[in-house]
Amino acid sequence: MRFALRRVGFFVLTLWAALTLNFFLPRLMPGNPAEAMLGKFRGPVSPQALKALEVAFGVETKEGLAGQYVHYLGNVATGNFGTSLYFYPQSVGRVILDALPWTLGLVGLTTILAFLLGTGIGIVAAWRRGGRLDSVVPPVFVITSAIPYFWVGMMLILVFAEQLQWFPAAFAYNVSLTPGFNPAFIVNVVEHAFLPALALLITTIGTWILTMRNTMVTTLAEDYVRMARAKGLPSRRIMFDYAARNAILPNLTGFAMSLGFVVGGAILVEYVFNYPGVGYMLLQAVSQEDYPLMQALFLLITVAVLVAILLADIATAILDPRTRTAD
Amino acid sequence: MRRIKILVVLFAACLLAAACGGGSSGGGGSSASGGNTTLTISNESGALWTCNFNPFNLSYIFLSLGTVYEPLAFVNTLQNAKATPWLASSWAYGNGNKTLTFTMRNGVKWSDGKPMTAADVVFTFNLLKKYKALDINSVWSVLSGVTQNGNQVVMTFKKPAVNYFYYIADQVAIVPQHIWSTISDPVKYPDLHPVGTGPYTVSPCTPQNITYKANPHYWQPGKPKIKTVNYPAFTSNDTANTYLANGQAQWGGQFIPSIQKYYVSKSPDNHYWFPPVANVSIFPNLTNPILKDPAVRQAMSYAINKQRVSQIGEYGYEPASNQSGVVTPTFSAWMDQSQATQYGNNYAYNPSKAISILKADGYTKGSDGIMQKNGQKLSFTILNNGGYSDWVASVNVIQSDLKAVGIQVTPKNLAYPAWSSAVLNGQFQLAYYSETGGPTPYYELRQWLYSGNSAKIGQPAGSNFERYSNPQTDALINSYGNTTDPAKQHQIVNELSLVMLKDVPVIPVTESVSWYQYNTSSFNGWVTQSNPYADPAPYYYPDWGQLLLHLSPT
Repeated sequence: MRFALRRVGFFVLTLWAALTLNFFLPRLMPGNPAEAMLGKFRGPVSPQALKALEVAFGVETKEGLAGQYVHYLGNVATGNFGTSLYFYPQSVGRVILDALPWTLGLVGLTTILAFLLGTGIGIVAAWRRGGRLDSVVPPVFVITSAIPYFWVGMMLILVFAEQLQWFPAAFAYNVSLTPGFNPAFIVNVVEHAFLPALALLITTIGTWILTMRNTMVTTLAEDYVRMARAKGLPSRRIMFDYAARNAILPNLTGFAMSLGFVVGGAILVEYVFNYPGVGYMLLQAVSQEDYPLMQALFLLITVAVLVAILLADIATAILDPRTRTAD
Repeated sequence: MRRIKILVVLFAACLLAAACGGGSSGGGGSSASGGNTTLTISNESGALWTCNFNPFNLSYIFLSLGTVYEPLAFVNTLQNAKATPWLASSWAYGNGNKTLTFTMRNGVKWSDGKPMTAADVVFTFNLLKKYKALDINSVWSVLSGVTQNGNQVVMTFKKPAVNYFYYIADQVAIVPQHIWSTISDPVKYPDLHPVGTGPYTVSPCTPQNITYKANPHYWQPGKPKIKTVNYPAFTSNDTANTYLANGQAQWGGQFIPSIQKYYVSKSPDNHYWFPPVANVSIFPNLTNPILKDPAVRQAMSYAINKQRVSQIGEYGYEPASNQSGVVTPTFSAWMDQSQATQYGNNYAYNPSKAISILKADGYTKGSDGIMQKNGQKLSFTILNNGGYSDWVASVNVIQSDLKAVGIQVTPKNLAYPAWSSAVLNGQFQLAYYSETGGPTPYYELRQWLYSGNSAKIGQPAGSNFERYSNPQTDALINSYGNTTDPAKQHQIVNELSLVMLKDVPVIPVTESVSWYQYNTSSFNGWVTQSNPYADPAPYYYPDWGQLLLHLSPT
């Protein structure tokens, strides 16, 4: 109990620090959003129109920095992220909600898949270390993880989309379709997600395989594994219930963190495959000095990662009694 | 482990089956009754659509003006500002060009079935007066009143401003009073389901694609012939260019490198044309003590091989500019040839002349190869947008050309906001930038030379970033608006070109073009070089509406 309370307390403190940094960092950038907008459309925009835009954007506030900060904290608590400047007058919440489900779907599911597959392969590779699987699969996937994502993505497009024409090369669904929860649409979405997901998988699975394999190898040297073997338990039972259960614990925190970072989007995926998502949106927000959108996205990433770490810590505490008795 | 393996294999198999059986992806919707009536546009917008269509918001006007909303008249940049009736059937200036009366067309309906009248026009303009942030073309800087007189709209001006006809008649979307009068804050109004008089309505709009459908109430019978237009949201140029190359999109607004190899050769029906409309120029900061000297600027203009900049930097797509500032061949009719000849054929490439001008001004080449006078070197930084790879390449060519005559420039490639902010605020020595121009050379010349467009150093200027100020030039610029007589207008443009040739306040290098690719296999009626009835870029408003109205299935 004390453990849980301590963890939650630490979480709140880190959250507050992140929120404060999140407030000040964008304001340290040069320029102001109304000017950025004026520059984007260099036409006969009159000084009065510019002034009116600045007022609408809230750039010309009389409030000092401290007042703005207090307002900001209050808004965060109520979930009011304001109006986007790049997508003016759209609200930030709506802008993010348009893209976030795609990011969560593609990147989230692929991360989970990569983790499951990677740990699975790592377990078997460690169990049969030195064998054929172990000699081939981990090295191959470690190499593929080192290849830049965009190259893998473009190669897949070239082979599977252009030459073989098995899969589409862009977008989340065929642009002439209307989104809806019907089988035809869902199949279309899966079809469009296949190549980006495959590219993501190829480039991220290597880490999971390697770390799992290495922790497994250490665990397999433990006495209780030897004891289980001596007792005559079937190999599969020892591999999973004894060794893997203990070996997976370090990976859990890593997995939780990468799940947290999923909401940061995968900017290269979105660029190469023209896939909707929050990664490219964040890039645009930064380059256009869209403070509200930037802040909301940074906040989303920070909170997601912090929550994920908190949950990972709690999960580790539940799964591994040794960490509970530390105090 | 085996269970997981089997699951994965099964999953992949299902996907493959779905993919193979799931039909083709790609935008063609052929109707059985002959001819494809669905067109897809490829224009990289860089972000998902927010589905806002407010025509007074600079971010979204290009999505609705011309297709959903219509203006009073159509002014064609490519045909010397030829004006044709659109929502107004005719118009006339009166009272010494201080009154402009539009006669409205009969029988026009809004897409919700209600009739459009002159009252809607009056309402639209008074809306712009009430909410300054909506007046993106500053029409109320010259208007004094807009009133209704039966089926006519009478506009009165503070003083004659004939050059504002383009902004008033071509660039203002007419919106329905019965909807917009109920909006409490039109500046923030997203206009998700726009109701206009135009040939298309939006149905539906998703973050990935806008589908325009033909408006059943449209006032031109039988039009538009293209029933569906898809406008996908491309975030990357690669995908947009691929769609054009393999025919999934038929109308493009893209910069395609090596266009012969990557687009034209893919199909005999792939064509392109890049009509020049304005200039990309070097803006010298005229408050800089060295750049104040016109001789230095003249030398720079002679020293730059603009043809080579165009070839190397822009793949030859953007023709070389000339110092008069008149864009050719689009506005060749405005060029004063005798004046051009007098000034070295509009400052044609002549590095030896550049050196002699500098020497005559008292400059001598130092031991480091850089010209200097009284201990002051001709060494400057030039600000550029690092994200525009073609501009970066162009400035590199400029750098080497200027080095050959002893002028050292160091490019500083900045990210967009820093670059834009520095240029607008006058915090640069040299800057590479462009103005937007307009339907005659006057508009760009005014953007460059009118002191009212400029601002003090440290304040953002709308244009005239070099901070040029000359009262006689201002008076000349203001006089253009007084007359509708083309001869007088040509005279004024000649005199403004003379300012460009004598003072060299800005150095145009290449001519910025409208990016345009089109595929003739499914559709006829495209804008071509021999038939430039509108500016053909799909992002150019309201011209893209005109183009869509001219298209028909083959």
